[in-house]
Amino acid sequence: MENYLYTALFSPLVSSLFVAVFAARPKMLFTGIVASLLIAVSMICSFVLLVDVNTYGPLHVTMMDWITAGNLEIPFGFVVDEVSVIMMVTVTLVSTIVHIYSIGYMDHDKSFNRFFSYLSAFVFSMMILVMSDNFVGLFIGWEGVGLCSWLLIGFWYHKHSASWAANEAFIMNRIADLGMLMGLFLIYWNVGSFQYDDVFAAAPELPVSIVVTIGIFLFIGAMGKSAQFPLHTWLADAMEGPTPVSALIHAATMVTAGVYLVIRAGELYSLIPHVGFAIASLGAFVAVFAASMALVNNDLKRIIAYSTLSQLGYMFVAAGLGAYWIALFHLMTHAFFKSLLFLGAGNVMHAMHDELNIKKMGGLYGSMKATAILMSVASVALAGIYPFAGFFSKDKILEVAFNEGAYGLWLALFIGAGLTAFYSFRLVMLVFFGEKEHVKYGIHPHDAQPFVIYALLPLGLLAIIAGFFEPMFEAFVTRLVSEYHIHIPHATEYLLIAATLGIALSGIGFAVYKYKRGGFSKSLEDKACYRLLSNQYYIPKLYECYIMRPFTVLSKFVWQKIDMKVVDFTVDIIAKCIYASGQEARKIQSGNLSDMLRWMIVGMLVLLAFAIVYSAMM
Amino acid sequence: MEHILSLLVFFPAMAGLLGFLVVKESIRAYGICVSAIEFVLSLILWMVFDTSNPGYQFVEFFPFVPSYGMNYYLGVDGISLFLIILSTFITMIALIGLSIEKEIKNLVITVLFLEMTMVGVFVILDVVWFYAFWELSLIPMLYIIGAWGSANRMYAAIKFFLYTFSGSVLMLVGILYMGYLYHDATGIWSFALPDWYALQVPFDAQLWLFGAFFVGFAIKVPMFPFHTWLPYAHGQAPTIGSVILAAVLLKMGSYGFVRFSLPLFPDASVYFLIPVAIICIIMVIYAAMIAYAQEDMKQVIAYSSISHMGIVILGTFAMNGEGITGSIFLMLSHGIVSGALFMLVGVIYDRRHTKMMKDFGGLASVMPNFATIYGIMLMASVGLPLTVGFVGEFLSLAGFYRINWVMTLLAGTGIILGAVYMLVLYKKSFFGEVVHVENKTLKDLNAKELSALIPLVALVAILGIYPKPILTTIDASVEKMLVLMDQKALQDKTKELLMKANTIGGNH
Repeated sequence: MENYLYTALFSPLVSSLFVAVFAARPKMLFTGIVASLLIAVSMICSFVLLVDVNTYGPLHVTMMDWITAGNLEIPFGFVVDEVSVIMMVTVTLVSTIVHIYSIGYMDHDKSFNRFFSYLSAFVFSMMILVMSDNFVGLFIGWEGVGLCSWLLIGFWYHKHSASWAANEAFIMNRIADLGMLMGLFLIYWNVGSFQYDDVFAAAPELPVSIVVTIGIFLFIGAMGKSAQFPLHTWLADAMEGPTPVSALIHAATMVTAGVYLVIRAGELYSLIPHVGFAIASLGAFVAVFAASMALVNNDLKRIIAYSTLSQLGYMFVAAGLGAYWIALFHLMTHAFFKSLLFLGAGNVMHAMHDELNIKKMGGLYGSMKATAILMSVASVALAGIYPFAGFFSKDKILEVAFNEGAYGLWLALFIGAGLTAFYSFRLVMLVFFGEKEHVKYGIHPHDAQPFVIYALLPLGLLAIIAGFFEPMFEAFVTRLVSEYHIHIPHATEYLLIAATLGIALSGIGFAVYKYKRGGFSKSLEDKACYRLLSNQYYIPKLYECYIMRPFTVLSKFVWQKIDMKVVDFTVDIIAKCIYASGQEARKIQSGNLSDMLRWMIVGMLVLLAFAIVYSAMM
Repeated sequence: MEHILSLLVFFPAMAGLLGFLVVKESIRAYGICVSAIEFVLSLILWMVFDTSNPGYQFVEFFPFVPSYGMNYYLGVDGISLFLIILSTFITMIALIGLSIEKEIKNLVITVLFLEMTMVGVFVILDVVWFYAFWELSLIPMLYIIGAWGSANRMYAAIKFFLYTFSGSVLMLVGILYMGYLYHDATGIWSFALPDWYALQVPFDAQLWLFGAFFVGFAIKVPMFPFHTWLPYAHGQAPTIGSVILAAVLLKMGSYGFVRFSLPLFPDASVYFLIPVAIICIIMVIYAAMIAYAQEDMKQVIAYSSISHMGIVILGTFAMNGEGITGSIFLMLSHGIVSGALFMLVGVIYDRRHTKMMKDFGGLASVMPNFATIYGIMLMASVGLPLTVGFVGEFLSLAGFYRINWVMTLLAGTGIILGAVYMLVLYKKSFFGEVVHVENKTLKDLNAKELSALIPLVALVAILGIYPKPILTTIDASVEKMLVLMDQKALQDKTKELLMKANTIGGNH
């Protein structure tokens, strides 16, 4: 089985390096095909491992030592257990589809080969992240996906906005990574090891204050990767990258790494439920906060990005409240329908010649039926309608919140569910139905190539049926993570389900009703709350005015005023003083004998004075 | 094998003397050959080095002025071994990438002499000789900056020379006082470092001596506020000068801390730990901010050197195996990465005769190979895992965390600020559209430049993925030094701190 493990891990790397050889050349179709095949190999191995773990239990290998110094020893070790194998399967499955899809999507791009090299490198980093058996190994993948995200957001580097967004994403993640590093150091100096097994075994013995600090630091790391408030602004800007990238990295996999971390460190977080509750509260806040921004946005991809943000909030609620398997389940179902939604959006963008404003679309159902159906399926799943995948996972999260007695959180998620349904169908209505606005711009949309649509079918299928795996999933994952029991009377439970379904359906109904009639009036856009939402609560502006600009000004000040005018000037002044005193003292050496004798007397007097003072002191 | 160290020290200088006989046309090839042989010699040294022995190996001893205990005394251990290899490697790479035509014969000979002094500093165990090599290293660099630099080279060269020289004069006073103390305590004169290690210096004297050595080392590193010579030197120096200066000469200062300050004055090192750490934090943040404000690409890298050296010194003062081993590894990795970055700046300067970022933009599309290698070095510089930059930075910060977590957090902002200035540099120079017509026809890296840069790229990856052989060798000697420090410590506070810094668990 070790061979399957290594194949699953390294075939994306092989793919990346192989394609990188051709990176600078013009488009070569085979690079895309080879990359897709190698990722598919990785996927098959992951499925084999899934079966294997199910039958024989976890697999743990240590490849070689990496860092040793002092008491510290970090190996390259990999573990395939119930949690990581679910992640592996999800990641490789979505990756394979995204790779195949990209062959069509990037068809006309001159950097076709380079794209596949980066994309495969991302899959490799993500595999390292989920498969490592220690925190530093996870950190390798953590930073690796950050690098690939930087490369891919800034893929069209000639665009200023793209390279700006790439840098923003990288730097914001770095801020969070510092928190995570501090957490790692704290773990090391208390446990003496970074291995998950050692850390979790030692955790109950540690003072609670230490565990709390570790938990907070690690979660700061998770906040960056999973774009939680206040480090969320990069995710929407990351939509500058090619759409397959948004689907894979910024929806299905990388952004869920934070959730994965909390699930993985579940044994730690279960010792500190109040920190977990704080995480859940932040998650619930983000769920509503992000959904509210999605309500008014007109950018096709940004709406979906905010929706991702909101769903990540849901996952954190589950993970924070200790329902780890439910968080993981929502992570998985979300990966399916959200990547489907993005890839469908990619088809729309191609059809619309990279137009992103949904107000300029409309009526696309006629010309791109397959995409319209797939995106509708994904939207229904996202809204959480029975029997689609989102229903099972999202509804469970609401039940968890209710079960914990966190009615505030439940209410937030409940409202969030309604908002989600509304903005999802606002998007669907504005893009696929209603007036054909695009005709005004002389665009003749057509659907994507057949193989692209076929590639999406598995995701469509999973978005519909994945929910029915729930009992199997629960039994499988709870072998590793703690079980979670919901003690709500059946009657209440049915009531809750009905209420959630009700609000989701009414959200959809409202959107369909409103946008069939041409949507809201223009006057709404002048309202203060609309502007607040469409400007993302003015947070990006806040960051620019109160962090970036002052930092730039301060840096210039430090350089030009402090370094040049104070530190360096002092050095030069000292040098100049010495030089000037030499210039002046030179006059003593006049060569005149009587001058010389006078100076000799002065010298003797000075020496005499010294001698007297010195002997007096003695 | 018993004279391999002498051979390593004097072979480049001897070959340099012979170089006067070589014709101008073939001097470059000659220089590359000599430096390659020297590099191979240093690799042989590593091969025959006994990694299980943490003490000095290949010791050579000739009485020089025996009555005053000044002898020709060489030896190498895990701490110095890789710095020697770094010196010989960087010299070779710098000569391979050399693109200067003017007075090339003198330049190559100067570089070979410089190589002698660099290797000399790292292998010598006699303090007087150490001082001699330390000072001698200034002269070739003075000449390189002064003769081959840009417009303002005289000011920069003189500033570099006088500033570092005045610092080392204080160190000389310290050396003489230490020799006197040794004579006072034992009745015999000795300037041999291993003899000095055995001496317990009284606490008050330690404080003064630490200060005297500190000034010498701090100017060399350079530590805030003694750093202002560095931007001038880098700004004016030719590429080869900057490469060697950043990669090796700065490491002499940080090596001095490990070799002298810590083991000779353990109590004073602990006593001054917090002030030194504060200076380090200032270096990290202050230099990173200045780097961000720069418009000149080379200055960004010059200031980033200061920022990274802050982490190196912080790791050294962590007083534990993790931190010190990490800081020595970070010296090596900074040598490789900053050397490569300066060389890359040289590549573009040769083509465009400007280093201003506003004159570039969109280079990624015109020079893809250049952009790729630059990108790799950039990622190593910001400390991405699996590149060489991560290992040392991680270990240094991890080590210091045990001493003080708030300070580690502050120093850790270096990983954020480092990403800020480096990514902004990359965006300004490589991304965007090609706006300047001159840039549209730039040639990508040629064979000469590639042959200088590819070994560096390979090292960045190899040492990032498998640093263990180097780390364990360094660590053995570092642990030995820590034991020595513990034995020598006079004060209970020092012993307590060393104990705490080197154990897992317990309260904070």
